[in-house]
Amino acid sequence: MAYAGGIIGLPFSLEGAAFFLEAIFAGIYLYGWDRLSPRTHWLCGVPIAFSAAASAFFIVTANAWMNVPRGFQIVHGRVTQVDPLAAMFNPAWATETSHMVLGAYLATAFGVASVYAVGMLRGRRNAYHRKAIALGLSMAAVLAPLQVGVGDLLGRTVAAHQPATLAAIEGVTHSERGAGLNVGGIPVPAHPAGILDVKIPNLLSVLAFDRPNATVRGLDTFPKANRTPLAGPARLAFVGMVGIGTGLVALALWYWLRRRRDGTGPEDRVTLAALAAAGPLALLANELGWLVSEFGRQPWIVYGVFRTSSAITTSPGLGATFTAFTLVYVGLSALTVWSVRRLAARPLDGFPAPGVV
Amino acid sequence: MSLAGLLALILGMSLTAYALFAGGDFGAGILDLLAGRHAPERAAIEIAIGPLWEANHVWLIFAITVLFSAFPAAFSALGTALLAPLTVALVAIVLRGAALGLRASLEAGTRGHMLLSRLFGAASAVAAFAFGLVAGGVAVASRSGGIPSIPWTGTFAIVVGALAVCLCTQLAASFVAVRLARAGETRLLIRLRRRGLQAGAGVLALSVAALAVAASASPPIFRRLTGVALPLVLLGLAAATLSLLALVVRRYRVARAASLLTAAALVWGWLVAQSPNLIGTRLTIHTAAATPPALTAVAIACGVVLLGVPPALYLLFVMFARPRPEVIE
Repeated sequence: MAYAGGIIGLPFSLEGAAFFLEAIFAGIYLYGWDRLSPRTHWLCGVPIAFSAAASAFFIVTANAWMNVPRGFQIVHGRVTQVDPLAAMFNPAWATETSHMVLGAYLATAFGVASVYAVGMLRGRRNAYHRKAIALGLSMAAVLAPLQVGVGDLLGRTVAAHQPATLAAIEGVTHSERGAGLNVGGIPVPAHPAGILDVKIPNLLSVLAFDRPNATVRGLDTFPKANRTPLAGPARLAFVGMVGIGTGLVALALWYWLRRRRDGTGPEDRVTLAALAAAGPLALLANELGWLVSEFGRQPWIVYGVFRTSSAITTSPGLGATFTAFTLVYVGLSALTVWSVRRLAARPLDGFPAPGVV
Repeated sequence: MSLAGLLALILGMSLTAYALFAGGDFGAGILDLLAGRHAPERAAIEIAIGPLWEANHVWLIFAITVLFSAFPAAFSALGTALLAPLTVALVAIVLRGAALGLRASLEAGTRGHMLLSRLFGAASAVAAFAFGLVAGGVAVASRSGGIPSIPWTGTFAIVVGALAVCLCTQLAASFVAVRLARAGETRLLIRLRRRGLQAGAGVLALSVAALAVAASASPPIFRRLTGVALPLVLLGLAAATLSLLALVVRRYRVARAASLLTAAALVWGWLVAQSPNLIGTRLTIHTAAATPPALTAVAIACGVVLLGVPPALYLLFVMFARPRPEVIE
């Protein structure tokens, strides 16, 4: 920690700048409804969108650097030859930032569709709800297939630069030549190696190295001290993320195929229920992706360079701090749910109370 | 000036901006706590906070990113030695923001609204006090040793913590007073003026007390405060006195300007007194600095901030300078 800032500080400072602009324009946007013309007010949303995306981009370049550290050398325990641009634009920057930003937009797209799918399930079947679902799924139709491609590219980045992480998330315990892609292999406490193995022959070798007979290193080829102790959770998070992602692509495809055939989107209860679930699931996929990045990198905080165990603060009271933050998060989550429910129950000015429509 | 010196200056400027703007916010929370169940007074305070209450913390975030990027060794040492008070401050900031936001969804006068208000006020006071502890502790950090010892539980730090609470209260009281004077709300103004006088007296007394404690507990910092930083210390004391006098003669705009000046002078008095040391004497602006290419990168990032943020902030302030104008086109 005493040296990371000197290497990867640039995107953090730039993120500070982007966050600054976002906060200012969010203030203008939130409090400016009756002080600005509708057009000016709407235009104030543009810098919010841009600076939010820029914030995500800058922060994820820092995470990419933790996964594929570049732009410095360590000589006798001292950091030398620092190149902030090489650190920021490390080999994982493009794939990791694209994957995260697309993930965030997808979660929003399905989140919007989800809210209105719940409305339709509750009987509010009107043009307003139909348009909102179509709006969310238009964005999803473009971004979801793109996300599959970007995810594949990110997988190749991991294969090239984080072999131990690849082995953990793909559940490869022993090295394999022409490794198959396991679409099951879910680790459970009794079977840490995974159950429900469904292997597609040679596919992992093709996806990772473009050669059907390429060798994928197994976890057992790494010294025990350099293997993630969280291989099971990392695999679970990865399977969950990919599973949800595949389901979301299928859902978007199903919606638009039906819409093309029938002229209107599908409004049966099963499709609506799937759409309703898609919002929370898309958010969950984002969280699982972060777990893949973090669990998969262990025992390193900076892959191959710096161990998490030596990065932890030497300050006492770590347990108390952890407990305090956990309690704060739980308490705030409960308060947020409570207050959003209250706001939702209150009629908007000029609109009838919900449930009456 | 070296690049490290320039970045230290930028760090000091963003800390000052944070002390003034967020200090006013914390003070508003403390005033809300002091107002008890007096609904009109609390409503007047709430209006004065306006839209700035969340944007202000970005100054702190910016200062932290500059510290992390430009002075990583100091960032690491501060984060280790001050984990407890900084965690308390952080939790308090989150709680006060959340309480203020959630409060808006409730009717004024209900029990939930009151509870959230109390949380907002108490957390504001705790945050101000914790930041005072941190500043006071860093000022008298020991001058040697591998791991710096930062006595944030010492008498000096506690006095500075109390000083920070009074300073925030005075800032907020003078801001609300200007607004009330303009609106002609005489009865409320009397109450806010009294708060301002109490807090201002506290600022003056605690500033002198801090100097006295420093003289006995930490002679090196006292020598610096009465040496190189003396003009700033005197300016701070003079501004604190002026702010009190201005409240006595009901010149509220003067009181507001003087309390802003007090806060800025005290922050810079602290920074100049310990310059070029960041913590103790081992970690200075120069020994804790990152490598030259990293400093250049951070300086460029700061340039981006200077280009983009002031115009946006100006827009925000202009928009809210006048209460509820007609639609602007």
